[in-house]
Amino acid sequence: MMFLYFKQQVSPTISLFLVELEKSAEALQDYGVLVGKVSCKKEPVQTYCSEAKQQRSAFLFRGGKEFLSFSLDTVFDVNSIVAEVLFAILRDEVKYVHTDADLLAMEKAAKGKKDIVLGYVRSLGTQEHRSLMETAYVYGSKYQFILITGGPVLKQLGVNESSQQPQVWFLHCRVRSTLMTEVTSERCPVTRMRKALSTLNLHTFLQLLEAPLVSEVYVDPSSVPPPQFPYQLTPQVFLFSHSATEHLDLDTATTLAWRLRGLALLLLVHRQSLAVKTPDKYNAAYRLPEKSSEVKYVTLRSLDNVLELVTKQEKEEQEEEEDDHVDEEEGELDDEVAAAVYKNRDDFQDMGSVTQLTSDNFHTEVAQSSLTVVLFYVKWDAVSMAFLSSFIEVAERLEDSQVDNVQMGVVDCGEWTDLCAAQPGTAVPFQPITAFPSVLLVRPQQSAQHYGGLLTGEALHRFIMISCMDSPVLLSTKEEVSSFLQEVPHPDLASYRPDRALGLFRTESQTGLSVFTEAAKSLRGEILTGLLTDGLVEKWAAEYAVDPPAVLLFHSWRKLTHPSVVPVDSSSQELLAHIYAALLPPVPELTVENLPSLLSMGKALLLLFVGEEEDEIGRRQNQALVDELGGVVEQGGTRMERYLPCCIHLGHTPAAMSVLGSYLGSMPPLPALVVSHLPTGDEVYQYPPKTPILASSVLQWLQSVEDGKESPAGMLGGDSWPAAFEFYDFLKIMDMQDADPSPTEEEEEEAEEVNVQEHLLTKKMPEDRLDINTKFHSEL
Amino acid sequence: MEPNLLCFILFTLFGFVLTSFNEHHHNGTRHYNYCVLGAGPAGLQMGFFLSKARRDYIIFERNSGPGSFFNKYPRHRKLISINKIHTGRCNREFNLRHDWNSLLSDKPDLLFKRLSSEFYPPADAFPLYLSMYVRELGLKVQYGVDIGRIRSVQSATGRSYVLTDQHAADYTCSILLVATGLWVPQEVEFAGSDLVEGYESISTNPDDYKGQAVLILGKGNSAFETAQSILGRASRVHMLSSSPVRLAWQTHYVGDLRAVNNELLDTYQLKSLDGLVEAHLEDIFISKQEKSSRRSGVKDAEMRAKLYLGLRKYMQNSDERNGSNASREELQVHHIDNFPLRKPYDRVIRCLGFRFNFSIFDSSACPPHSENAKGRLPGVTAWYEGKNTPGLFLLGTASHSRDYRASAGGFVHGFRYTARAVHRLLEYRYHGNTWPSTRLVTTQLMSWILKRVGEASGPYQMFEMLGDVILLQGFHCEYIEEFLLQALPQFSSLSGHEVSSHGLIVVVMQYGKKKIDYLGRSRAETDWTRAWKSNFLHPVLYYYDSLPTEQDMKMRPRGWPLPRPKAIHHMVEDFLTEWDGPLSHIQPLRRFLEHCVQTDLRAFSAETCFHSALTHRKPPLFCQQGYLNEQGVQHYSQLRRRVYKAGPVPVEQVTAGTSTAANPAFPNYLAPPGASVSSALKLDL
Repeated sequence: MMFLYFKQQVSPTISLFLVELEKSAEALQDYGVLVGKVSCKKEPVQTYCSEAKQQRSAFLFRGGKEFLSFSLDTVFDVNSIVAEVLFAILRDEVKYVHTDADLLAMEKAAKGKKDIVLGYVRSLGTQEHRSLMETAYVYGSKYQFILITGGPVLKQLGVNESSQQPQVWFLHCRVRSTLMTEVTSERCPVTRMRKALSTLNLHTFLQLLEAPLVSEVYVDPSSVPPPQFPYQLTPQVFLFSHSATEHLDLDTATTLAWRLRGLALLLLVHRQSLAVKTPDKYNAAYRLPEKSSEVKYVTLRSLDNVLELVTKQEKEEQEEEEDDHVDEEEGELDDEVAAAVYKNRDDFQDMGSVTQLTSDNFHTEVAQSSLTVVLFYVKWDAVSMAFLSSFIEVAERLEDSQVDNVQMGVVDCGEWTDLCAAQPGTAVPFQPITAFPSVLLVRPQQSAQHYGGLLTGEALHRFIMISCMDSPVLLSTKEEVSSFLQEVPHPDLASYRPDRALGLFRTESQTGLSVFTEAAKSLRGEILTGLLTDGLVEKWAAEYAVDPPAVLLFHSWRKLTHPSVVPVDSSSQELLAHIYAALLPPVPELTVENLPSLLSMGKALLLLFVGEEEDEIGRRQNQALVDELGGVVEQGGTRMERYLPCCIHLGHTPAAMSVLGSYLGSMPPLPALVVSHLPTGDEVYQYPPKTPILASSVLQWLQSVEDGKESPAGMLGGDSWPAAFEFYDFLKIMDMQDADPSPTEEEEEEAEEVNVQEHLLTKKMPEDRLDINTKFHSEL
Repeated sequence: MEPNLLCFILFTLFGFVLTSFNEHHHNGTRHYNYCVLGAGPAGLQMGFFLSKARRDYIIFERNSGPGSFFNKYPRHRKLISINKIHTGRCNREFNLRHDWNSLLSDKPDLLFKRLSSEFYPPADAFPLYLSMYVRELGLKVQYGVDIGRIRSVQSATGRSYVLTDQHAADYTCSILLVATGLWVPQEVEFAGSDLVEGYESISTNPDDYKGQAVLILGKGNSAFETAQSILGRASRVHMLSSSPVRLAWQTHYVGDLRAVNNELLDTYQLKSLDGLVEAHLEDIFISKQEKSSRRSGVKDAEMRAKLYLGLRKYMQNSDERNGSNASREELQVHHIDNFPLRKPYDRVIRCLGFRFNFSIFDSSACPPHSENAKGRLPGVTAWYEGKNTPGLFLLGTASHSRDYRASAGGFVHGFRYTARAVHRLLEYRYHGNTWPSTRLVTTQLMSWILKRVGEASGPYQMFEMLGDVILLQGFHCEYIEEFLLQALPQFSSLSGHEVSSHGLIVVVMQYGKKKIDYLGRSRAETDWTRAWKSNFLHPVLYYYDSLPTEQDMKMRPRGWPLPRPKAIHHMVEDFLTEWDGPLSHIQPLRRFLEHCVQTDLRAFSAETCFHSALTHRKPPLFCQQGYLNEQGVQHYSQLRRRVYKAGPVPVEQVTAGTSTAANPAFPNYLAPPGASVSSALKLDL
């Protein structure tokens, strides 16, 4: 058997597939299938290499002949390749049933011959499907395998069809058990596999069902060795038998053993043996795997207790597994952030690495450190609490990497309300905090800087590390300049390449210097800024042919030898705008982090979606596409000003996967080019998928989009977000309750008046009844 | 808007004219923009606000020091306003909820606790505190000025008040703030009322009551305070007033009998020799029976005459017979042999409280008597201006008619907040400064409301009287603290804030209105869906799509502080008064706010926002105000993983060879959209 792919041209999707194909080779080798790819450039195999449509398929050959072809849609990763190939090989052996009648027919046919393994998977090509197929390959001759993906038969098996959980049942059709009542019925007894469906679990399960139903021993349970391979993960249950009731005890044990099938091994201990030392008060014992191999003795009243003992452990395991799913309790909270925080409410937050800032210590603490990063939070705000844990992690990380010139501090604004309100008298270097959480960077004798980045530990950490550098760094020697341009502020940032701005000024008094330093101040944390004056300036100016004052920008996305030049403007605001504009790559990559700033430009988005590349070829191809998009900008000139071309890398930004799906209704092959957020409307247009992405044709396509000649591929959603949940209308409920007759206050008052104490009879003034307020005298 | 503007211009002109007047002592009288009458707690509180706003003001005080009332009262020298120093919290605003003696200021340590650490502090500490307050804030108080006459004059520039002191010196004030308190003892006229001693003059030495039978008229705190002090000496103490005792812990009104004074209830119910009776004081008479002793001599002087109490309907001739002996037939026991008060008393003490001194006001400047409180208080508008006396405001205990028997406006811990509210409206009316407000992005509103209900002292003390008003404006909202609820129909003209078509929310603290067994089993509600049945203090939010009218206010349901709103939300009462439970308090509140602002207010992770920002014209509000403002939240799955794994954070996955343009490390450096989360956040510094 051979599973082959004929490689013609490599697109990102193909390169993705090729990697998976390679992985599957090893797995399929065990099943006697050779996996290979044929390079059509070297070996132009007839028909398979000549036709373009063959690119979208892989082929299974048996005895040199094509046995089956698979669309790449069905074989997309290692699991689906293995599952589908084995499924194809076993297609005569693995049956399919739809209704209960189908199953009944299968059972009848198997009766007395073979046991049936029935597997349910929600969809093909999954990990579970692969596990089932791998098991079927090994046990195919021993058991009858049935694979279902849905259908009415599920009901018979007691599965809710909305359940996504794959399951396996073992139908005991071969054995003729004299004990089971089911023997009279035409159905085979069923044992459900309780563990999650995986190859290993399935093997264990099947082997466990092969084990003898009841083993009889004549030694004390403590002397019985723990179960041996392959049952080492299986609990042992011991029941005790007396010689007087031997037969009865065996029956009981067998009944219980049936119920424990697939869960535990049952051993019957004969008490008449002298080796059995267990006191008579115990009637059962068990040994759980892993925990400790110690035997525990118990006195049980009913068989159900045994089941509980064994399944309790199962449940614990399941709970651990299910931990990642949303459970019922937090289902009550409909806010994803609040629910996550609520779920973790019992986790202890170790605040040891952050300074608790208060109205009393704020000034002294801030004065002690060259940089204090302050988080203002309130406990009832879920976003605050979510970010607080990230903030603490950043603090710990800074501590671990011995960054000791940064102090991380938190202010609980529920407690230090006057500090957060920047009340007069506190003389704090910030304005009242009105949004939570807020992060400020405070330096002694300076006004605070507001952190405006993403509320993640990663983004904050980066911002802090870059903020640690002076802004601008004063440079005077060649070594300083080259270290400024090439070194990262801290080894922790090694994987991050910041943008750099270098100001060139002939003298320290040259005009524009203050504009630059002011701009540098507001750029602190975002990019690195350096200032070069006097001596070396002329050399640099000559090298880059600029006339100081000027700012050289060294882009993170471009080689150091090609800085762009920004003139020094009259105001720092303008200079900042120029720097920002110059730092923007021609085709930026859109990420979760930078979407806000890109979207704020208010342009239509020309989005290129590319997949994850696995090798250098794929990377080069993606780069070529991005360059092509850059070409669109160049060729389009001013026409392209209303568009922001950018690429979305699905590998870097998995969150974008569903975006494409929402635009187009289905997942198109990659790369995909889409234009959205047009000023004219909510339509989303897709560049013809099969057309190569070339600058000129993209421009043409954009033109026809503008001319209304293209038909939209999808629509943007609206901008109204009504409340997702109905509010609890107290007014309505109060009205309903008010309609109920109940004693009013007035009646109660009257009752009181009748009870005038001590029979003191006095006249009541008539106006007393009018207003309770005036009725009673009191003093102030 | 138009009339307001006009008003503003008019008053600015007016103020200008006045200031110029001040510079020359016109006609020999002094002119002030603001005159405060009385250097008690309310007058000084107002003085602080005027001084902080740098207004031309003066505080007149006839005595030589502030708070002179407290030099004499309470007679037994123990304040019953709590001075709780140890709350376990550092939140200064929250701590004011449990500090009933301090005045408001911007000095965080100018608190009463500096002078006393007693939970029920000695009365002498209070004038000391007030002196310290005057000194540390440098308030302008003129002592020894006894204003005997107040009249108003109408001139071309408007109405002003002329005050005349004991030396016949005149002071002209454009705005008069009367904070004279209540100090005239309240008396009731009945036959024999001249035989009664007054609380203001009784002996406070318990030994003077040894073996005596004492009848106390009144069942308020001063009556019980007196009873308590003589309990161990007097032979029997009876208390008489028209209404049964009302217990402060049941009525939530601190003017009713406080448990600190209620020892007599114990001795009464355990059948010692004390007791309470009800009768209208107008219906009784007291007569003196001289001991008709044959051995008249030296002892007579020491032997007090016995006082008998009877009912007026049995009095034979109803003409004035004060102090004369009643005949045997007139006495009650003659008619009812088990009449409770049939035994004679050695003393009858009147403890009926105090009333406002109306006598100094000329008819041109006199506020009317209140309709409630037996007319003892001046009648004021919902914003504490005297009815018929524009420019004359009442502060402090004298202003209590608005919330008599309802809230804390007659007490220091309540009126310190109403004084602030009055000052704010003065600032707007006369100086064009709109009420201070906080501008919030709408997604921060819930957090802010939770902050206020968790700590705010004003609405907590002045429950059902002061409430926070939130003006909804779509993307933003304006949060105005502690507005006068009864003046809500006049909100715009008093505060200078306009109500937009998005409507408004009012946050009020309320007690339940149902009479329950306050110590019984089902006294507290814990289910948030039954929050409206909460009995203890809890926040209630009223949503209106437009400002209620005065008519709406008049027609409001009985017992409600505000008219029926478009939607209402009760936050269920909380044993710890902390309203921050995610399920019981926060989520129901969020859904209510969502209903009011008509949009989803949930928080989303950055990834969710990323998705909705790309697939929609606009993402949900939280994403617009958080994520698109570059304040995205970590995805919750990561969040949880991080919490479980306490280890170093994995370094961000960055592809090698970052020289490609497809570099994920693209800095977020463009100015945030809209660029205004809130002006306060833009730290231009």
